[in-house]
Amino acid sequence: MPLILHIDSDRWRDHLRSTWNPDIVPVAKGNGYGVGNPRLIAESRALGARTIAVGTYNEVPPDSKDDVVVLTPWRPFLEVPQGKNVIHTVSRLADLVSIPAGSRVLIEVQTSMRRHGIGARELRHTMLLNALDRIRFEGWSLHFPMGAGGTSANVREAQDLAKAARAVRPGAIWVSHVPAQKLADIGDDVKLRMGTALWLGDRGAFDVRATVLDVHSVRRGERVGYRQRRVTGDGHILVVSGGTAHGVGLEAPTAAATVRQRAIAMAKGSLDAAGLALSPFTIEGKQRWFAEPPHMQASMLFLPASVAPPAVGDDVGVDVRYTTTTFDKVSMD
Amino acid sequence: MSDLRIRTISADEHAAYLTAQPSASFLQTPGWAAVKSEWKAESLGWFDPAAPEQLVGVALVLYRQMPKVKRYLAYLPEGPVIDWDAIDLGRYLRPLAEHAQEQGAFGLRMGPPVPARRWTAKTIKDAIAGGQQPKLGDVRPDVIEPSGATVAAQLRALGWKAPRAAEGFAAGQPQYVFQVPFAGKSEDDLLKGMNQLWRRNIKKADKLGVEVTLGTPEDLKAFHALYVETAERDHFTPRPLPYFVKMYEAMANQPGDCCDFRLYNAYHEGDLVASTIWIRVGGHSWYSYGASSTAKRDVRGSNAIQWRMMSDALAAGATVYDLRGITDTLDPNDSHVGLIQFKTGTGGEAVEYVGEWDLPLNKALYTAFDLYMRRR
Repeated sequence: MPLILHIDSDRWRDHLRSTWNPDIVPVAKGNGYGVGNPRLIAESRALGARTIAVGTYNEVPPDSKDDVVVLTPWRPFLEVPQGKNVIHTVSRLADLVSIPAGSRVLIEVQTSMRRHGIGARELRHTMLLNALDRIRFEGWSLHFPMGAGGTSANVREAQDLAKAARAVRPGAIWVSHVPAQKLADIGDDVKLRMGTALWLGDRGAFDVRATVLDVHSVRRGERVGYRQRRVTGDGHILVVSGGTAHGVGLEAPTAAATVRQRAIAMAKGSLDAAGLALSPFTIEGKQRWFAEPPHMQASMLFLPASVAPPAVGDDVGVDVRYTTTTFDKVSMD
Repeated sequence: MSDLRIRTISADEHAAYLTAQPSASFLQTPGWAAVKSEWKAESLGWFDPAAPEQLVGVALVLYRQMPKVKRYLAYLPEGPVIDWDAIDLGRYLRPLAEHAQEQGAFGLRMGPPVPARRWTAKTIKDAIAGGQQPKLGDVRPDVIEPSGATVAAQLRALGWKAPRAAEGFAAGQPQYVFQVPFAGKSEDDLLKGMNQLWRRNIKKADKLGVEVTLGTPEDLKAFHALYVETAERDHFTPRPLPYFVKMYEAMANQPGDCCDFRLYNAYHEGDLVASTIWIRVGGHSWYSYGASSTAKRDVRGSNAIQWRMMSDALAAGATVYDLRGITDTLDPNDSHVGLIQFKTGTGGEAVEYVGEWDLPLNKALYTAFDLYMRRR
């Protein structure tokens, strides 16, 4: 019995249409933000986008009619799909001379992210200047940090780097994590790569449901589960669909940026140490405790006696990170 | 065979001997001593005792003083100019060591102009594309020169120390260089040997009206400004203008007609877009220093000026056009590979020389100097 992502398709598409404009390049990568890359690519086309960005060379759709920008920088050891529609990102001087002549290339410039990119002081390196006529130059790429205070600083940094890069070679500037309404401040011909803000910008259009597979009543102190833990009180054990195979109960490091977020993380950490963990499953408006760590495709929850248990076959809400969850089904409602 | 005699000779004798040779390094010309004026230098000649008027070899020796002591490293850059195919190199090298010791040298360092192995442009291109990131020295060469191994074996037997492999550009002269052989080739053949991008860029420069002219000493200032601009772009330390003034002065006015030294300028609509130094000694021609402007890259001044230097070298009867050092990295992750790619575009070959060899004359001082050089 599946873990299903329900999408209110009218509401979602309204949001996509009101967010997208021709300066925005939709990003379809990883698990497709929970929705799946093929659907995101189809939605991008429907919006009118003629260029999309993917994360890795493995994600380039076969026989794409539209241009596909690959965000992971080109490396000599990567298997690279051939095709006139692939636009590569090059982030090192050596790669500019090693990439096959005639390749379509965005040159990535190092930003305060310090992840990939050619340093601003190398922009006039003779090797770069000479490489510009080996390749089909498509523009400059800038990747910025996200979040609080980042965006206005990002705009300033983007202005400086764009100016320096365009002095070397005029071309489009491709950015990320800059507010869409600020693109004009960076200059003309600025393209914005957008993933999360586009696809997950209106969470209200999304609803994740798991199915109740089994319900048993338990008394305080009885042992349950693979690990035979004692339950903490009287109530019910629920078996619901959704486990480690879906990404449920697996956490990527949280990006706890505020004191409050850190406090929550600390509290959760101490609960983890006590062997207790809140599950992402919501019943009667509250997140419920895991009875034990999630199984591969289902999870065991403990529901105290004060709450009436759902019936087998009912569905319950789940609060997940879309980028780390694999759904059994995406339902366009 | 008894050993040869060795003695100091005049710059005129030195240059006259070089003129009669098929080729020699410009670092072995008497003029080079004036370029390296901070070092003591002398021209040496070898004579056969049986024919004492007949020079059979020459060398330019630069004496580099060691910090704090009045002792020298006797350095023969890309030399000496002797018969390296001789059955017994000891006839030349034993008297050389003796002479250097008398002059207060604690050690000798020389760079025999003897090629060991060659790799064609295609072999290099395939090795880079193969993705195994080899060192050039590990790639199967297209030609193995018999004299390379013979000379190395003889030097070892005579007590000389083989070069230590160093990555990038070591302190001395490069062990690997890139050359375009001219033997039996016409201008058309040279163009055909280049890769498509080179040919296209040469045509493009011509169509856009880039003009390449021979410079004069007055043009050195403009050359130097462009060279400093290039150094800022590529983050290397430029030599000061007086160094080039001195080089022009010393190298262009050598005795006899052993050597040519020229400055070339490429202009586009009055703007200097590239400027280079070209040298010829006998049949060996070099592209020695180059500079290019940041602006107007698209007129391809660099390709135009290289093509002009190559054509002029061919016309001057050169048998080889030498683009000087390359590093031995063929790792496409290494930015040095860019330099190799630019040079391989000319369609020539990479040549490995036997490298720089040392002969310690005073063990303690030589060891101290060796440590000092490695820690610099």
